[in-house]
Amino acid sequence: MMEVEGNPRGIPAAPFVDDVAKFVPDGDYEGTLRKFQEMISKYRFMETHLLQRKAGLESKAPEIKKTLEMVLFLKSKEDSDEPIATEFELSDTLWARASIPPTKTVNLWLGANVMLEYTLDEASELLSTKLKSALTTLEQVNEDLEFLKEQITTVEVNMARVYNDDVRRRRLEKDAGGSSA
Amino acid sequence: MSVGLKEEEETDAQVTWEDQRNINMFSKLNIRLESIEEQYEAKKNEKEYLDDLTVELELADEDEPVKYRIGDAYVSLSLSDAQGRIESEQAQLTQELESFSNRINGIKTEMAKLKALLYGKFGKSINLEKD
Repeated sequence: MMEVEGNPRGIPAAPFVDDVAKFVPDGDYEGTLRKFQEMISKYRFMETHLLQRKAGLESKAPEIKKTLEMVLFLKSKEDSDEPIATEFELSDTLWARASIPPTKTVNLWLGANVMLEYTLDEASELLSTKLKSALTTLEQVNEDLEFLKEQITTVEVNMARVYNDDVRRRRLEKDAGGSSA
Repeated sequence: MSVGLKEEEETDAQVTWEDQRNINMFSKLNIRLESIEEQYEAKKNEKEYLDDLTVELELADEDEPVKYRIGDAYVSLSLSDAQGRIESEQAQLTQELESFSNRINGIKTEMAKLKALLYGKFGKSINLEKD
């Protein structure tokens, strides 16, 4: 049996079965298979959890991107004399006109009922940082998911090999029994 | 798609750690490929919309401002400003599409190599095809 360390986020690596006979203690094939099955369930559990996180991040990133886009647009109009003509959403099916004079600051919703005023530069910097960190986390989650998949594949191959070995052993036993009778 | 040893054939090929790593790599690349292909399709659609839009806007009245969606609101832009924004978005998408298709090709080459290797060793006891 060969051990590898886990991945950077501490997901343990699956054991690899080098020699089936040595790996199955006292010929307990069923127990070994059950153990592998348990391992797979644990990996699947982690997988479900990570998939949820992934979905969350995948919706968060475009959200930040949209806000950043608007901030950059406001920034590009910062020194213009003309107000910006917009239509904005009041409710799902209701839009209103607004004319926005060139501005140097925006208020960003930080969550927890807090809104804070930022200069356009600060806002774009904050949003860029947030976007970058969301994308980095997303990448890590993807890495973790790939790693999990690899571990599941390893265990599946282990199971197939232990199972095959069991079949082979039974056949040999049967053949031996048949010839002695 | 199933990657794994099938029981029916009794090949005596031993699975080494090296083989296992190759099998894992193959399965990983397969998933990665699917995900990138999905993103590629989405970006390609977006690009097509923008292409249509460009054609559409060529017929638009130059003095009439265009309502352009930025973030969650519509902003009135001059036609040339709107066209400028679309152009830069198109350029960005073209670049992204190119990088995606490079990655897709890289993964496919890698997978073909692994496939040849694994089939060479395990023959019929392994199944690397899509279901």
